Amino acid sequence: MKTLLSSSMRLFSACVFVSSSSMLFAQLPQDEPDLRTAREMAPVDLTGTWVSVISEDWRYRMVTPPAGELHGLPLNQLAEDVMNAWNPDADETSGLACKGYAAPNLMSLPGRARISWENDETLKIEYDYGEQTRLLHFDGSPPADAERSWQGYSLAQWIRQTTLARGIGFFGVGGGLGDLLGPLEITTTNLREGYLRKNGVPFSEDAVLKEYIVWRRDTVTGAEWFSLISTVEDPTYLRGLYIRSSEFRKETDDSMWSPRPCSVR
Amino acid sequence: MITKIKNLAVASLALYAMMTGSMLNAQSGTAGGAYEADLQGYWYNPLYEDNRDRGEGPYIGDYLGLPLNEAAIQAAEAWDPTILSLEERQCNDYSADYAAHSIGSQAIWKEVDPFTNETIAWRLRLSWMGGQRTIWMDGRPHPPEGAPHTWLGFSTGEWVGPTLVVTTTHLKNTWLRRNGVPRSDKAYVVQYFTRLGNLLTIVDHIYDPVYLTEPLVRSSDYILDPAGKMATFICETVEEAPRDLGVVPHYLPGENTSLSEFFETFDVPMGIMHDGAATMYPEYLDKLEAIRND
Repeated sequence: MKTLLSSSMRLFSACVFVSSSSMLFAQLPQDEPDLRTAREMAPVDLTGTWVSVISEDWRYRMVTPPAGELHGLPLNQLAEDVMNAWNPDADETSGLACKGYAAPNLMSLPGRARISWENDETLKIEYDYGEQTRLLHFDGSPPADAERSWQGYSLAQWIRQTTLARGIGFFGVGGGLGDLLGPLEITTTNLREGYLRKNGVPFSEDAVLKEYIVWRRDTVTGAEWFSLISTVEDPTYLRGLYIRSSEFRKETDDSMWSPRPCSVR
Repeated sequence: MITKIKNLAVASLALYAMMTGSMLNAQSGTAGGAYEADLQGYWYNPLYEDNRDRGEGPYIGDYLGLPLNEAAIQAAEAWDPTILSLEERQCNDYSADYAAHSIGSQAIWKEVDPFTNETIAWRLRLSWMGGQRTIWMDGRPHPPEGAPHTWLGFSTGEWVGPTLVVTTTHLKNTWLRRNGVPRSDKAYVVQYFTRLGNLLTIVDHIYDPVYLTEPLVRSSDYILDPAGKMATFICETVEEAPRDLGVVPHYLPGENTSLSEFFETFDVPMGIMHDGAATMYPEYLDKLEAIRND
């Protein structure tokens, strides 16, 4: 009997050990610095070519809207005044044709995004429409002397969301607190003034662009998609937070990649 | 002897299961181990995208950016907006898919099992038309195919990573755009709810074998309003226009004179309204440019 009890106690102890070990393991990332590179930490593989699917705001995205068209924008009076003074010909001749292709508007335009790792801490997004390149830095902060640009300086991080991670326990009932690395958050500053819409809707140098890339797999077709959820705060021209989201579907190759220069039309 | 060992082992494992189960409940209030975002609250709809479509109403004839087949376009061309003034249609609810892409804000809360603390269902109330949806989280199956269809359909959900994935079937036919673009009752919808701080994004994937050539994918964004409160929505029918009994407003083929308004306003050729899914992709820019250069 003693042997029997001893055996079962050892079994019980082993269960508790496995259970607590799995909880401890799941909790570790919360308490200790994560030494993995951004590329190693990536919860999803965003690399590849993605096509923007223009099923919303078609008349503002596939064609340059008429001057003065401002539906759906939280603009203040100053912004409306600037917008009403928009002169596309002047932009063209002054070398400002890319004002409408700045980061706050770029990926709402009809194009393809080619995403790759520039290095372990920098994700690169090339966009064929307007031939623009964005660099998302997972480390560091904007250099103090950085020149303003239409793509600005982007800091990126994988968002951590505390979750209950399943453990290895018997019957699948073990578990503990852990981290779910989820969407990609991008914060872009150091922007050169440009357009939120190609018809001269302005954003200022003070604008802060915050974006989230949320990956998903279509549960019916199996296709990979991501939403690019984009918010702009601009104390100069906006009355409040401007938010919109664009949808991208992954392509099997980049045979449809079709660079087009900036155009005001 | 072997039986006793087995019994003790089973008892040990049961004790272990009880321990870990209680730990789970103490840590999170949620058993089962899956991530669950808190979607509860009043979500304000800022209407920044498709603003006109969702607010004052889309242009008649604007079928661009939708993967429509020819049957859908024929049905849309026959649509007369005054049909909305029929008394039996004035208080029609918005469907689950259109509601997410329409004008209203949403209140979301959840039903929790008081014993297990597991989420049984998410409830969504729409400020416009006041419809209330239920998204079942308890694993129940969808009804059989012949079960009644409703405006809000039958929804089940599950968490996939940070996103609540909701599948809705048994929907009534409705519109995809409020200018008569139809969606059939054979359609089903998968919606992806993702909360990011004070933002909520709902992405719809709409599959309709009757009117769509590929899934329609579109998203709507909401902002959490801690002070928001859902008002009571009351819809009462009135006689908006005198009309003979039995008349259903519509256009016969070739009779709809409103179709050109959109194309004249935005200076795009009217012929492209039949191009369906092709209009959603960047390479369509080549066709637009070629048409302009002609």
